[in-house]
Amino acid sequence: MTRGILGLVLRACVVLTGVALATFALLWNAPGDPALAIALARYDTVVPADVIDRVRVEAGLDGGFWAAFKGWVGPLMAGDLGRSSVTGRAVWPELAAAGSYTVPLAVAGLGIGLAISVPLAVIATRAPGGWTDRFAVALASLGAAVPAYWLGLLLILLFAVHLGWLPAMGARTRAHVILPALTLGLGVAASLTRIIRSGILEARGQQFLPALRRRGVSDRAIGRDHVVPHAAIPVVTVFGLELAFLLEGTVMVEVIFGRPGLGSFLVAAIAARDFPKVQAVVLLTALVFVVVNLLVDVVYRLIDPRIGERDA
Amino acid sequence: MTLSVSGLGAVRSGRTILHPTSLEIASGDRIGLVGASGSGKSTLGHALIDDLRAQGRGVAHVPQSPDEALDPLRSLEFHWNEAELALKAPPDADRRKRLLSALKIAGGDLGKRPWGWSRGMQQRFVIAMALIGSPELIVLDEPTSALDPVIAADTMDLLESHLNGTGTATLLITHDLGLAARRVSRLMVMDEGRVVEAASTQDLLECPRTGAAKSLCAHRSWLAVPC
Ligand SMILES: Nc1ncnc2c1ncn2[C@@H]1O[C@H](COP(=O)(O)OP(=O)(O)OP(=O)(O)O)[C@@H](O)[C@H]1O
Ligand SMILES: [Mg+2]
Repeated sequence: MTRGILGLVLRACVVLTGVALATFALLWNAPGDPALAIALARYDTVVPADVIDRVRVEAGLDGGFWAAFKGWVGPLMAGDLGRSSVTGRAVWPELAAAGSYTVPLAVAGLGIGLAISVPLAVIATRAPGGWTDRFAVALASLGAAVPAYWLGLLLILLFAVHLGWLPAMGARTRAHVILPALTLGLGVAASLTRIIRSGILEARGQQFLPALRRRGVSDRAIGRDHVVPHAAIPVVTVFGLELAFLLEGTVMVEVIFGRPGLGSFLVAAIAARDFPKVQAVVLLTALVFVVVNLLVDVVYRLIDPRIGERDA
Repeated sequence: MTLSVSGLGAVRSGRTILHPTSLEIASGDRIGLVGASGSGKSTLGHALIDDLRAQGRGVAHVPQSPDEALDPLRSLEFHWNEAELALKAPPDADRRKRLLSALKIAGGDLGKRPWGWSRGMQQRFVIAMALIGSPELIVLDEPTSALDPVIAADTMDLLESHLNGTGTATLLITHDLGLAARRVSRLMVMDEGRVVEAASTQDLLECPRTGAAKSLCAHRSWLAVPC
């Protein structure tokens, strides 16, 4: 088990190194002269060639790919994300400020998704094929088919324009997070409901359950000790994928609701060719992914140690 | 005390797989239930257990395969504790040790999941669990199909000596007439969801009357097998 987890951590490090190298190479080879773009973004006028060359040296772009890569990765190891190549200010505080809008939104979206999907799936599977089940499945399919921007606009129209209950745009007060979180949460709920529902149904069909009942084990204990762990396996498995959906959805929802956050931070950074900022966001995203998938793998092995045994 | 059930039956996907059946089992009986594959033996065993449980009688079940008895995600110890709890039997480490050594699996690590044990050991674990509550009847569904012939005979001997004098009756389900002949005093033959013949083991082996019994007896050479 410990060895298995060590292997997973090692794998995570390899993935992160790969991501760092790939993003850097991608930005390095993007069309156009990065030094020119930076100079334009910084001075906002036509810039003479010697200024561009100075910018190139300042941004560490003159020594070739590997020198530039080393200049970036070295401080990164110590947790330093570097400075913006446009403004010259440290990236980390700005990134943290943007994250302070995005993280609560993502967490609230996930929370709403779970708060809707778990009870809905449990109610639906009380009578599989019954009308509540069909209703839940139809609702989930509808939710998965509706794009976030459409749902977001619908919610804005209803709660902000029509009823006037909730604020829609920006992020001035706490209440501003409700509509974006709802938009995100309904999308999450739609996909999770289907996964949890089929997980429960599959777990209920396990071949050893009739014998447990004949042994006198109560339905409550069977549900708690046998059905839930088996149903959790597919849910935990897709959790990593669900996160991808969540990240993508968060950026989209931030744009719809005009919220500051990592979404607008990234868009602005790309437009200004602010390499260090773009890299910081991509790396952060990759880190979140790797850590969550690492946790998923560990939880997965705790529930079903057969997974680890097979690997070894 | 005699266990009696009447009107057992089962319908699956619109097909009657067990026609109305009544049974009487006296305390300490050794009954064999034989028949071809698919004749409805397991179905009758399940219906019998469910009916007796509903009557509040103590009845234990050893399913046809350990996969049908044990949750692969839960340790063997968990299963044992769960079975004790289900029987409202207070946890008793001595009893556990006694039963596990009676079936010669006391050396196994109970912290492991079922798949950490061999199938033969799992099967004997399930048999040991069936003995926890000193039930009035144990239904053994092909209890030795996961075991090699020597261990199978051994296991049946261990079980027999453990049950001797306890009054616990057994219903041994098998398609192996050779196994049944050595272990039971009364035989029932099933065919297409019906008990078509029931007689003492000796009578049935000497003069089978129905076609199903005759074809089973045609394989008398099985009697040479050690179990
Ligand atoms: N859930 C089900 N749906 C439909 N048919 C079923 C179902 N369960 C059992 N049957 C049918 O009922 C019949 C009896 O099955 P059963 O398992 O009782 O046979 P068996 O005598 O125990 O056979 P074996 O010796 O192979 O264990 C079989 O023909 C089987 O196909
Ligand atoms: Mg069977």
